Amino acid sequence: MISPVYGPLIEKLLAGEFICAITDEAHFTKLQDEQTRDNIDAYLKPLNRRLAANDEGSVYFLAYRDLDDDARERLKQQLSVVMGSMLPLLEWLTYIQEAMGSDGILTAGDTLKLQELTVKTEDNPSLRQRLQSLANDRFFNSQSDAVDGQAKQVAKRLVEHGYLLQPHTNRLYFIVTGKIDFLLELVRFIKDEENIPLDETTSQAELL
Amino acid sequence: MAQTNDEQLLSNVFDVGVERLKLIGNHAQVLMQGYLSGGIEASALSEQALKKLINARVIYQPDDSHELKLRHPVTQLIAALVTDESRRQVNADIADKLQSIRGFVQGFREAQRSGDVIRADNQLQRTEEAVYDLTSQFEEAIFSLWHRLNSNFGFVSNLSDKIRENSRAQQQIRRLIEGLSLIDFDELIELAEGNPTLRKLLVTKLQAQINGHHGSLLEVQKRLVELMTRFREQQERSLLVTRMAGFLREHPGFTVGDYAYRSRVPTLINQATAIIPAAAVALDRRDQHTDIASMVHGLYKELAIRAKTNDADSNTQAVDNREQQQAVEARQQQLKHDAMQYFIAVCDSEAPLSALDYLYQQSLEWPAEAWLFQVIGEYNSLPRHEQKLFNIERSEQPLSRYNQVIVIEDITLSFNT
Repeated sequence: MISPVYGPLIEKLLAGEFICAITDEAHFTKLQDEQTRDNIDAYLKPLNRRLAANDEGSVYFLAYRDLDDDARERLKQQLSVVMGSMLPLLEWLTYIQEAMGSDGILTAGDTLKLQELTVKTEDNPSLRQRLQSLANDRFFNSQSDAVDGQAKQVAKRLVEHGYLLQPHTNRLYFIVTGKIDFLLELVRFIKDEENIPLDETTSQAELL
Repeated sequence: MAQTNDEQLLSNVFDVGVERLKLIGNHAQVLMQGYLSGGIEASALSEQALKKLINARVIYQPDDSHELKLRHPVTQLIAALVTDESRRQVNADIADKLQSIRGFVQGFREAQRSGDVIRADNQLQRTEEAVYDLTSQFEEAIFSLWHRLNSNFGFVSNLSDKIRENSRAQQQIRRLIEGLSLIDFDELIELAEGNPTLRKLLVTKLQAQINGHHGSLLEVQKRLVELMTRFREQQERSLLVTRMAGFLREHPGFTVGDYAYRSRVPTLINQATAIIPAAAVALDRRDQHTDIASMVHGLYKELAIRAKTNDADSNTQAVDNREQQQAVEARQQQLKHDAMQYFIAVCDSEAPLSALDYLYQQSLEWPAEAWLFQVIGEYNSLPRHEQKLFNIERSEQPLSRYNQVIVIEDITLSFNT
């Protein structure tokens, strides 16, 4: 029997949410327990769902238990949507890295202050152009011409897709969720799987 | 005799030291500027000060240029004082220090044998200093390493520099640990043989300190390796993202394999679609009836409030509509009135009067098309006998050679007298 305290957690998982230490620390901690995971798995069995995690175990989500044709078709469609949004997401990550002048790409738990980002972008024509082209991308789909409006729309879409968390709706600061790590794992997987020769361009990237 | 010589020497050293430290203090700003910018303009100092600083070996003139530079020990002093890790050097030369300790101990033994107490004391003091020098060298290095570690190598700006600095720090640690291994306590025990002061200095105290340093170095090393791993991970992520973005930009039509139809579907791809667990009110549980009833009541109240606000909304809308309609009617009346005025003007005029000419003469605001339409309408609405009083003449032509729709361009009316 599954304890009723898992109700909200299961509901979140079923709704397609990614559970990580940032989005939902309490539930994430519960999911560290193997017994809990087994219980949830057993509960989800009739729904053809099971609990899955990324390689690092930093993000939990639901996967299909048995892959019938229907499930495979849905996965295929989903993958093509993800591939469609991959470039804008990666471009966004490099834009943030450049704007904030940080050593690394954003990672789960990093905070992002929209105000600071806007100021830095407004002061720099190249960053403005990058934000502009990002905002015009179908994935972010901003109609605004102002840096402020574009940055807000981009952040809004990232919250909708679960990459950012906005702790207070009226305050414009965001926390990066574990889904970013998931995205990067996916990128790494695709690179390996498709033998994309990313390493050969080393010299070129360093020249840039 | 020897004693007075030594005293003289010491007081001499003291005086010179004080004088030169003061000299550095007096020119602190210029020297600091030189430290930061890499050179001092000769014009920044008076000729006398320049001479003094060069004589004191604080600065030197590398070539014939006018620029002066700080001597290495001065630069190192400043770097240590302000913990400037980009400039600070770690000196890992242990063998030399050990050699001087051996020398001082030998001198001490010789002085003791010859009964020269003062010289013996002097040599013991030197030994003490040399030991202190040895341990403080490690202390200084360890402090510098921790400082670099805790500041996350913030003194260099980009990641690859940080990685280089980190590996440099790790090499320094290796050299320091090698240096520590040069300290042979068996030898030091032998050196201290039979003298409790030397024993305490060279064996007990030194051993405790060296053990402490060794532990610290291993800890720093561990942390540096961890940090390096993190740097490398960051670098890997950065490169992955920028290169993949570049690749996707260059290959807009890129598609991945059919992962969903593989016999083993990759974990990352297998993400189930969402199920929203819906629930509705059911009346099959008697014990829940009271709850449902209160919910329904609440709902009624809410609906009543919403209905009221809706009513208010539609009222304001109706008012709006009426206002709009009135405005349209007023314009319609005005147009009709203007058209009637045109007919009267035709009656007064002897020559035929073009409707468009009239429109422009009176500078009326109506669009030409609407105006002509109104004039024709007015004409058609006149009783037949009144129509006969006017001659109406349409200037019209087909829209184009191929389109036979006839467009009325103007109307000219004249009054039949």
